[in-house]
Amino acid sequence: MNRFKRTLVLTIFLTFGFLSAACAAQSYDLKEMTPAVKQALENRKARFAELEHLKHEGLMGEASTGFVEVRGDSAEAVSVTAAENQDRKIIYEAIVEQNALGPAGYAEVQRVFAEVQRGKALPGESIQLPNGEWVKK
Amino acid sequence: MRKLLFVYLAFFAAGCTVKAVGDPNRPITINANIVVDVRGLKKTAVGIEDMVSQGAR
Repeated sequence: MNRFKRTLVLTIFLTFGFLSAACAAQSYDLKEMTPAVKQALENRKARFAELEHLKHEGLMGEASTGFVEVRGDSAEAVSVTAAENQDRKIIYEAIVEQNALGPAGYAEVQRVFAEVQRGKALPGESIQLPNGEWVKK
Repeated sequence: MRKLLFVYLAFFAAGCTVKAVGDPNRPITINANIVVDVRGLKKTAVGIEDMVSQGAR
């Protein structure tokens, strides 16, 4: 009987241990700041004002993929979009790789970053909703 | 046998899948479902985007 009680207590302890581990919020940091990630972040900081200007002019918008898209006829917007998306891709891939999130994790990273970008967009800027529809915030 | 049953119960309660248990002569294969915690990921995304926007100013 005592042995049964001991094993029962152990089982409950293990179960709560697994549950609390599953419920705790995970953190998905950039664990290692590789030269590529560092450069991508520096590029994005340097490009930020230009990006804001293009968004304000309605020439660029935040897509639901976590990347920016050209929304008007502008050679500048095309080149800035390509460069920005290249740097974002490096950062997203680093998060996925360093946190072992797998292929499904990459889509989740894109989705969450898109959500954050929509939240940070200023009034009047173009944003793409999760259903694919483009709207002015 | 009883230990294996407890391992099964613990994994079941944690939302994981135990593929095969019970035969001590065979290795046990456990398929754990990896679920991305959106809260943690969002915190990371906000941190990075804040760093980009504030670093630019």
